[in-house]
Amino acid sequence: MAIALARVDDRLIHGQVVIGWGRPLDAKMIVLVDEVVRYSDWEQEIYRMAVPADMQVVFATVQEAGARLAEWQGSPQQVIVLTGDIATMAALYSKNPAALSSINLGGVHHRPGRTERLRFLYLSPEEAAMLNDLTVHGAVITAQDLPASRAVPVAEVLG
Amino acid sequence: MRARVRALFRLLSLQASWNYERMQGIGMAFAELPLLEEVAYGDAKLRHAAIARAAEFFNANPYLASAAIGASIRAERDGEPSERISRLRTALCGPLGALGDQLFWVGSLPALLGLTLLAIAWGAGAWAVLGFLLAHNALRLSVHTWAFDMGLTYGVRVGGAIQASWLPKAVAVAGPAAGFLVGLAAPLSGAWLLERTPTRGGLLIASGIAVALLIVRRIGWRLSTAEVTLGLLALAILWDAAKGLL
Amino acid sequence: MIWTLWGYLAALVWGTAVGVDLVSFPQAMIARPVVAGTVAGWLLGDPLLGLRVGVVLELFALDVLPIGASRYPDYGPATVAAVAAGVGHPWEWALGVCTAVGLAMSLVGRWSLEQLRRRNALAAQAASAALSAGDAEVVRRLHLSALGRDAVRSLLLTGAGLLLARLLGAKIPEDPGFGQVLSWLAIGGAIAAVIGGAVRSAAHGRRLRWLLAGFAGSLILILLR
Repeated sequence: MAIALARVDDRLIHGQVVIGWGRPLDAKMIVLVDEVVRYSDWEQEIYRMAVPADMQVVFATVQEAGARLAEWQGSPQQVIVLTGDIATMAALYSKNPAALSSINLGGVHHRPGRTERLRFLYLSPEEAAMLNDLTVHGAVITAQDLPASRAVPVAEVLG
Repeated sequence: MRARVRALFRLLSLQASWNYERMQGIGMAFAELPLLEEVAYGDAKLRHAAIARAAEFFNANPYLASAAIGASIRAERDGEPSERISRLRTALCGPLGALGDQLFWVGSLPALLGLTLLAIAWGAGAWAVLGFLLAHNALRLSVHTWAFDMGLTYGVRVGGAIQASWLPKAVAVAGPAAGFLVGLAAPLSGAWLLERTPTRGGLLIASGIAVALLIVRRIGWRLSTAEVTLGLLALAILWDAAKGLL
Repeated sequence: MIWTLWGYLAALVWGTAVGVDLVSFPQAMIARPVVAGTVAGWLLGDPLLGLRVGVVLELFALDVLPIGASRYPDYGPATVAAVAAGVGHPWEWALGVCTAVGLAMSLVGRWSLEQLRRRNALAAQAASAALSAGDAEVVRRLHLSALGRDAVRSLLLTGAGLLLARLLGAKIPEDPGFGQVLSWLAIGGAIAAVIGGAVRSAAHGRRLRWLLAGFAGSLILILLR
């Protein structure tokens, strides 16, 4: 149970997360891990806007989220953990590898320095190296935008 | 005022230049041009920076994107720092997308289509279609302008303002309404299409559908029902053609 | 079969308009099969058929969730072609062939949309320096040329659809028996699609309960009739 989805998505909370994954997983909580949003109340207002009333949103720094991963993992509720980039997910993973054993790459979009790997996945060389490092440390990483599409193993993306 | 109308009209073409890199970015910039000319009419450097920001990656529900334009124009007018305006636009993408998708794509749109199919099954014919177009576009255009004005009024605080508005309540109702109306329309529409079919044939089809649905649910095909149906139809037509040749 | 020049041209113009409506402009939902089909039937002189074909393809289209950047079939020009295929035939046994034309063209439409988006991306990449510099003229040019590109896409797609309609329209069985079987297949598939799609997007909770309530109400109404 518990942490049903740990996802990297630079759009953070949006339709694919709330409707696409939230509904079929029956998730009741979204944890948004982002160092800037954690201290920006107007941005928090914006991200809250799209979340249905029966879903709770928690904003946390990597430090705060890392300390609570075990608690969420043991919770009877389904929890979605979201980060906006791979570096944040990697930092979070190092806090508690057991709680985040599988990681979903849901959307990392074009930016100078990144090259296209999949339609919804653009990676810089540093990010590719980080993913490689995570798999070496035992994380199971797949790229998949929606539950109905194929989960592409990270080896295929990096290879 | 004229700039507002022009921007709202241009925004109806938001997704024309959609692409995987900037998604709706260029469409957003195109719609914003008339407004940006007003905000920074004298200062070319300011205007160019604002246009470049406007053309960055953006993707939201096209019917709610006007809120982001309103909010960033307000922020540009208030002289907010560039970094903050970019963050505002980035932050708005996902939530406006999710709200709009729930309100329109899986809410009012299937609900109105369900109603239309019901009306057709009851004999309303083309009038039902006309009613659908009027109702959908009246709703869509009023949300389009409303969201723009919300953005323009509240700027970076648009999130809290929309959350406190009627919109989340409407979203909560739209989903169940869509479920109910599509559920009501599906069998009645089927019965209408089969009205000249003898009962035995109708029952045969109904059980065929049930079996097909169970199979699809069981093995979770990657193919859509439309693709499977197309395959079956093509096989049947080819078989018939081959029979004629023999 | 009624293939007047004016009817053909009108269908071509209408198909182009609904193709552009889907994503580009003005997204007024004339691209929905039930709208595109009804108007196409009226333009081609067979409103009854247009409405029936529109409803069948609408049931398939309701199975599509246009969320995020996911790929979706383009049912607008496809529906125009589907109606054209059956014009002049009794709808009871033309529906199968019409549906086949419509579904096939909707997949061609999906492919053409991907090509369009790829071209738009290339154009945007080529102009990326000018975009970063905030050149208003480049924004205007990129956007309007993409709109024009979609109009060309929709025109070609409708033209191809009308050709396929012409070819397969001749295949509509003279013998009502086989035609009827094809139509049942199409209608069965359509109902399976709409129910499958509704259940999938309802998934859990309140929405699913309302869906089942609607479904039960519908069955009761059918039995009472």
